[in-house]
Amino acid sequence: MKEPIATAAPMPHHATPSGDLYPDAVRLERVREAHRALYTERETITADGNAAAALATLQMWRCVLYAGFPITPSTKWMETVAAHIAKQVGGKKRVKLMEAEHAVADYLVGAAAACRDLVFPTATSSVGLDHMTETTRSLGASGLGNVLLIDVYRATANFPLCIEGDPSDTLAHRDDGFIQIACRGKQQIYDTVLQAPCLGMHHDVLTPTMPGYYGIKDSHRNARLIVEPDAEVHAFQDRWIQPCPLPGLVNGDTAFGTCVTSRHFQGFKVSQKRRMERVLHWLPQIGADFERQFGRPGLAFFDTTGFPDDGAVDLAIVTMGPDFGTFEAMREQYAAKSGLRVAGVAMRLLTPFPRDAVRKRLERAKAVVVVNQAHHHGRGHLTLDVADALADLAVMPRIISVFAGLGGADVSQATWERMLDHGRAALGGTTVPPWAIFHEGRQL
Amino acid sequence: MSGYKDIALRESSFRPGSTLCPGCMESIALQNVGRVSDNGRKTIFSIGTSCAEVSSLAFPNVVAWGRGDASPDDFAKSFSIIHNVFESAPTLAEAARDVSDILADHGAIDRPIQVIAASGDGGALAIGLRSLLHTIYRQSRITMVVLVNEIFANTGFQYSPATTPFAETSTTPVGEAQAGNPRLPLDYIHLCIAAGAGMVAQVSPAHGKLFVKTIEKALACDTTAVVFVPAPCISGWKFDDGETVHLAELGAQCGAYPAFVWERGKGGAVKDCAREADDRPRLEEFLGLQRRFHHLVQKDPASGQFVARPGREPDVERMRSWTQSNVERLFRLAELP
Ligand SMILES: Cc1ncc(C[n+]2csc(CCOP(=O)(O)OP(=O)(O)O)c2C)c(N)n1
Ligand code: SF4
Repeated sequence: MKEPIATAAPMPHHATPSGDLYPDAVRLERVREAHRALYTERETITADGNAAAALATLQMWRCVLYAGFPITPSTKWMETVAAHIAKQVGGKKRVKLMEAEHAVADYLVGAAAACRDLVFPTATSSVGLDHMTETTRSLGASGLGNVLLIDVYRATANFPLCIEGDPSDTLAHRDDGFIQIACRGKQQIYDTVLQAPCLGMHHDVLTPTMPGYYGIKDSHRNARLIVEPDAEVHAFQDRWIQPCPLPGLVNGDTAFGTCVTSRHFQGFKVSQKRRMERVLHWLPQIGADFERQFGRPGLAFFDTTGFPDDGAVDLAIVTMGPDFGTFEAMREQYAAKSGLRVAGVAMRLLTPFPRDAVRKRLERAKAVVVVNQAHHHGRGHLTLDVADALADLAVMPRIISVFAGLGGADVSQATWERMLDHGRAALGGTTVPPWAIFHEGRQL
Repeated sequence: MSGYKDIALRESSFRPGSTLCPGCMESIALQNVGRVSDNGRKTIFSIGTSCAEVSSLAFPNVVAWGRGDASPDDFAKSFSIIHNVFESAPTLAEAARDVSDILADHGAIDRPIQVIAASGDGGALAIGLRSLLHTIYRQSRITMVVLVNEIFANTGFQYSPATTPFAETSTTPVGEAQAGNPRLPLDYIHLCIAAGAGMVAQVSPAHGKLFVKTIEKALACDTTAVVFVPAPCISGWKFDDGETVHLAELGAQCGAYPAFVWERGKGGAVKDCAREADDRPRLEEFLGLQRRFHHLVQKDPASGQFVARPGREPDVERMRSWTQSNVERLFRLAELP
């Protein structure tokens, strides 16, 4: 699976100051052999999003230590893991209950640095993620791609407190240095969690991952889920995850987390950015391999609906999350009623933002309505990214910024219609404000 | 237990090249801990942000850690160190401990690994008190070394929860309205015992044999061992060159930070510090050697001794009574089983 990158020459592996590696110090195959399979055959079960994410981590032989701290709506991830581990007499996986999210993040650093070939997962939400911030910023720069931080989206800020899920938490953490992938639906959650370490631990990438899904809407509602046999999961992951070429605390003679002078800091930052850029190269390949093996779509930059082959549409919406499903369901009807060609993009890869792919997808749209679901001081996180992606075009589509689904509110069909009407008006020459908030079929 | 000489001849994991101030007790302590830990077990070390960290783990300066001039052939001599954030040393160490144990449980490693964490008193007792107490509470098999210079030295000598009363720090200055630090230090030894530590000690390399013996015991402890190392700071305490070890010893003997070793199930003892004030060195002599107490004492030209400055007698008496209660407290803690 290790191919040279065509677009950018691989950097030497100087992600962290490293000394020697004792390659025989850890016999990883023993960990693999000790794994107890959860599923020996493909099965269809009913699960909520938290259970789907938990099952995926439980099926990985590389996950043996699960650190966490409860917070709604991600708590059930930890409870599901704990319940399975409690059932496995003689099993070797362990749960680690910490005193706070900050401690969980610190713990992940220590654990992931100790053994770079194992995967260390956790799940958190909202202020839990904020509580980790000091360390997530360090983690993002650390080269520890074996950290898997699942973020179950929940509105941040406690004035007022809202336990339902908008992605303001993950979007406030765009610069932490994690690869952020948004999911919608239980199957995508399960599949994404299985693929995330393949991307994060790829030798060209070595960057921690933050798959995420919407609190309550996806974390707490049940749906059909296909789970794969553990052996198949392992075969897939083992194709992508090679022993880390860098030493860990256990198998190395090495130093992590040194201070550097500003002169040397530049090199670390260049390396961090390059590693992140390589996600754009490897993610589609991992996704394609997943699809080959399991017959379901794998990781992708985004999902789309309604684009003709030539990409020419009147109105394209860009959003993320499960409310895209409501749009998918009403799109054709709206198109027929309005006489417009209407299409949609649901972002999956948030960070690094796939600028080129988004530009290519939207370059022949006349207007783009960007539906932001998280508080932002200006026109919205997604809007800024989309505008940046389209900025180089000779003829740039009109970009219309809206907010909907704040605090995890459902984006109803009526709301979608009003937002599309808003975009249509702009397309027809009406001046619209820089941003507008929609809720329950009304512009607020 | 190994012989003192044997330990002195071992290879320390703290190597030359740090930029710690000449005469810094942190450096002496780390050299000694580094020697004791050269014991046939691989060492993983975590360190919180502090003088000891920024002065020893700064690229492209010398990374003053590791055994030998190159990576050792013998895995048991290999040494890894990690720094994350200010308060995280105990948690990082706990994680490395757990991963090592879980790998051993799988039969994936068979060589013994020891894990040591180090922080300053700011890192361990202010911002990181929660981390420290919870690592202890979870009975993690690590040795925690707290280098207690009673200040945030790295950021310029600010007050910490371990600062001695009346000490001048950059945030408890001496002025007309305030005579240095107005607070009593946190009772951190008691806190660690209460949280469930397997061993708690307070000792510096000024008590050389006791120090290495204590570190050796700590490394053998099967739960968390915490060693507080009183660490005179030449720049923050403001004393003359060459006085570091003398001050560390004098401070312990006069009751400011008595040497103390306690093990769960065995109890403990105060060492080299008399319970009665009259049997201890004069407190004024300890204060007089440091300019952080310049507002309290001065040298009496007639006797050559340090005495309270005129008008400061009540403050020196308060200081004396704090010292006495400090000594009493440790004698009582030593009686805990
Ligand atoms: C979250 C955070 N707050 C503040 C700092 C700034 N800071 C770095 S080291 C330090 C003081 C360290 O004091 P201590 O732990 O006592 O170690 P010493 O330098 O005295 O050896 C402070 C305040 C920081 N690095 N991180
Ligand atoms: S300032 Fe103090 S603690 Fe820091 S290196 Fe100098 S003597 Fe040591």
